[in-house]
Amino acid sequence: MIDKAVIANPRTKYGSGRGATRHFITQRLTGALNIGFTGFLIWLVFRLAGATHPEFIGIVGNPVVAILLAILIVNVVIHMRIGMREVIEDYVHDERVNRLSRLLSNFFGLAIIVLAWGALAKIAFWG
Amino acid sequence: MAARSRPLSPHLSIYRFTITMVVSIVHRITGIALYAGTVLLVGWLLAGAWGPVPLAYVNGFFAHWFGTLVLIGYTWALFQHLLGGVRYFFWDATAGMGAGQREAISWANVIGAVLLTVIAWSVYFMFRETASL
Repeated sequence: MIDKAVIANPRTKYGSGRGATRHFITQRLTGALNIGFTGFLIWLVFRLAGATHPEFIGIVGNPVVAILLAILIVNVVIHMRIGMREVIEDYVHDERVNRLSRLLSNFFGLAIIVLAWGALAKIAFWG
Repeated sequence: MAARSRPLSPHLSIYRFTITMVVSIVHRITGIALYAGTVLLVGWLLAGAWGPVPLAYVNGFFAHWFGTLVLIGYTWALFQHLLGGVRYFFWDATAGMGAGQREAISWANVIGAVLLTVIAWSVYFMFRETASL
């Protein structure tokens, strides 16, 4: 019989006991951090709009800016990965397509981090 | 007792639209848009790392009216999602859930996002000629 206790039990397939609480907390934590990062990002984009290459390198290559951007990217990817997983869980009902979608989403997030960190390292260390 | 299939709840098409419902849907859509939009940020960083020519190309795209429109839309999505998150912080704390309050918070979400977008871009357009921010 399916009752509240069965649904709440993470060992059953009912409900979402696999990581729901952790995702809930992580999502709030990264979200709160992103409030601060938003101001920083908008300042940076406006500051660098139409900037020449040396200006761009000078500002993005600044250790504080580069490190903040590196953390921002990771924080954003953690947040958007959980968000996209929630969307996939809601709309993709076929188990295999569901797993595949989540896998692709993970790869997307990973690619964003790797590419951004690569670009930042190049800018910060080699100009 | 054998397990029956789970009951299905009626979906969007059957409900009257309310503002709380609209901000909930918009929160999800802006979230998905921002997810895809990270490509813009990473593309910009990659262009800057690559060299002056790719950077000038990306700068040219964003200076074009269409690129600027994309950025303004991105800024709005960012503020809408940000304030939507703040709205959920209130509701997580079970604050602002009373009749009228939840609608007020949802409207504040919508209006606040538009206002912040207008303010941010007004500041940008006003000061980009005179001084670097």
